[in-house]
Amino acid sequence: MRRIVWLLALLPVLAAFVVAGCGGGGGETTGATGGGETGAASGEPIKIGASLPLTGDFSEPGVAAQQGYQIWQQLVNDSGGLLGRPVDITVKDDQSDQNVVVTDYNALIQQDKVDLLLGTFSSLLNLPASAVAERNRMLYVEPAGGSPEMFSRGFKYLFFAQQATAEHQADLFSQWAAGLPADQKPKTAAYVIADDPFGGPVAEGIQSQLEAAGVQTVYSKVYPPETTNFDAIAASVAAKKPDVIAQGSAGLADGVGLDRALIKVGYSPKQLFQASTPSFADQFSNGVGLENTEGIFYAVSYHVDAPTPGNTDFLQAYRAKFNTDPPEDAADAYAAAQVLQAAVENVGSIDDQTALADWLRANSVDTILGTLSWDDTGAPEQAFLLAQWQSGDEEIVLPEDAATSDTIVNPKPPWK
Amino acid sequence: MNQLVQAIILGLLIGGVYALLASGLTLIFGVMDVINVAQGALLILAAFLAWSLWHDAGIDPLVGVVITTPAMFVLGFVMYKLTVQWLSGMPASMSVLLTFALALVIEGAMGLAWSTTYHAATPDYFDESYRLGAFYFPKAQVYGCGVAVGVLALLYLMLDHTWLGRAIRALSENVQSARLVGVNVRGVAALTFAVGVATTGAGGSIISVLYPFLPGSHYQWISRLLGIIVLGGMGSLPGAVVGALLLGVAETMTATYVSPRWATAVPYMVIMIVLLARPQGIMGGKLREDVVV
Repeated sequence: MRRIVWLLALLPVLAAFVVAGCGGGGGETTGATGGGETGAASGEPIKIGASLPLTGDFSEPGVAAQQGYQIWQQLVNDSGGLLGRPVDITVKDDQSDQNVVVTDYNALIQQDKVDLLLGTFSSLLNLPASAVAERNRMLYVEPAGGSPEMFSRGFKYLFFAQQATAEHQADLFSQWAAGLPADQKPKTAAYVIADDPFGGPVAEGIQSQLEAAGVQTVYSKVYPPETTNFDAIAASVAAKKPDVIAQGSAGLADGVGLDRALIKVGYSPKQLFQASTPSFADQFSNGVGLENTEGIFYAVSYHVDAPTPGNTDFLQAYRAKFNTDPPEDAADAYAAAQVLQAAVENVGSIDDQTALADWLRANSVDTILGTLSWDDTGAPEQAFLLAQWQSGDEEIVLPEDAATSDTIVNPKPPWK
Repeated sequence: MNQLVQAIILGLLIGGVYALLASGLTLIFGVMDVINVAQGALLILAAFLAWSLWHDAGIDPLVGVVITTPAMFVLGFVMYKLTVQWLSGMPASMSVLLTFALALVIEGAMGLAWSTTYHAATPDYFDESYRLGAFYFPKAQVYGCGVAVGVLALLYLMLDHTWLGRAIRALSENVQSARLVGVNVRGVAALTFAVGVATTGAGGSIISVLYPFLPGSHYQWISRLLGIIVLGGMGSLPGAVVGALLLGVAETMTATYVSPRWATAVPYMVIMIVLLARPQGIMGGKLREDVVV
């Protein structure tokens, strides 16, 4: 027995070795393939380190984020590099594990001696990883980690490269629902909340705003993000017959799980909002059935048709390399790298990381997600887009100036 | 009251599926003292196979069981011959190391073959339910549970009425005596391992319809399955069935009446309580107490 305990304790270490052995090289190819572009980068490459969840629970978005970093590296190197030097991104695999991600960033800083860092995916992993960067006084721009916890620690080197933190992700939805005419305005709402530093605050944000608008809460319970079986939850929610169901989902599986369970129990709310699940494009529609997606709301940071600066270059390069449209997580990672790039280019040096952080705090940056700016804690100050599935497509419905559809499906039609 | 009955219905349906998933794990442990941590990864591999059959060839995942089961049997046999057989005579803890390595290899291979994105088989019935009065019975769970019961019955008949079954049981009771009465220990162990892995063929096919899955999904399954076989008594097939049904009902009851937050903690609480109160599990024989510690 004692031996088993020891061996079990050793397993994560073993796994780290296995993965480091396989993925240590990162498989990165520098984009300097002699493309003959003007002003090809030369000199010692600038080494940029990141760790991403390439395996484990977050492997799906983790791999997408890696693609975003790859595309950025390729585009930067093809257009003369960063400060005239090529960039070389090393991506380690943290296996979606909070302990491994800390080891990875320590190794990047101390052993690989990278010049710059880029963040990892999810608040769960960015919380410990950003602490490593902060301790080493290195700029840490992260693509996906909007939990309020991230910004309550007084960090000076942390910046979140999306439009808003988690509790404000659904602001446009809450305002829209609360502002509906009296005969359509929801009276009751159920909140199904993932125990996740991002998904949780999204639903809690909706709950506090809708409660303030007089919408009665009839169900509000937290579930662990790895939950797959939502039948019992859906049965309990359906018994309360809420007008609104808002789920602070952590990923794809838990959101699809709730939808499927609601379909099976035969309950369709008037408005259904899910934090991130519906943004998984065809993985979402395949999971719940395309005809069942109609009218489902979500908030999103990126849309392929967005007229944002640099988006056409990004889209073109991404489509050429991966033969498909970029997922949101790839776009977010690309934007994070753009933020880092803007800081470096404007400061003109990578020697003083404090100067890079100070510059970001004082300025705004144009990215493919739009223009981003940050408060003193590194939290962004913009607003997410409100999106909705309509006739099998993802449409932006609010704000009006960014909308790709001029109608909002309301109420949500029954499940097919 | 309705809510209580509905929770029990849902719990029993999913418990039946859990029983099938846990059966292979407990069989392998009972016969050869191998804790096959790769069982979860094999389950997800079978789910991918079932998904491919459904997606590319239009074969219903639950019908695809007749293809995935033999495929997983062969894979199990090969795995045994290439790796697991060298564990013979080593402590059970070594098998955890080896099979964990196998699980990582399988996870990586699945990522290469099917990518790390979520997959879900959605045949017509995946989101439909039978209704009976105030209650509903999700079709996917009903069919899945039916397949599970069928496969478990076959497994039970095999163990009870065939020479191989008797040899397997003999091996699980006492290796030396089995050898004395003429059982080819190596051969039977290989077949047992293959049969244990073959159960993932049906289990994975059911999972592909019930939940979206990706290569990394295997971790949560293996922890739940270990909970079930510890509860039932490691190595005991009837124990795994009882443990699975109990766990299924405990999970849905917890999610309904306490909080969904605690539902996924149920397997771990079960392991702790069982280890404290009845280390051999509900149906674990005293004979096996030496390896249950």
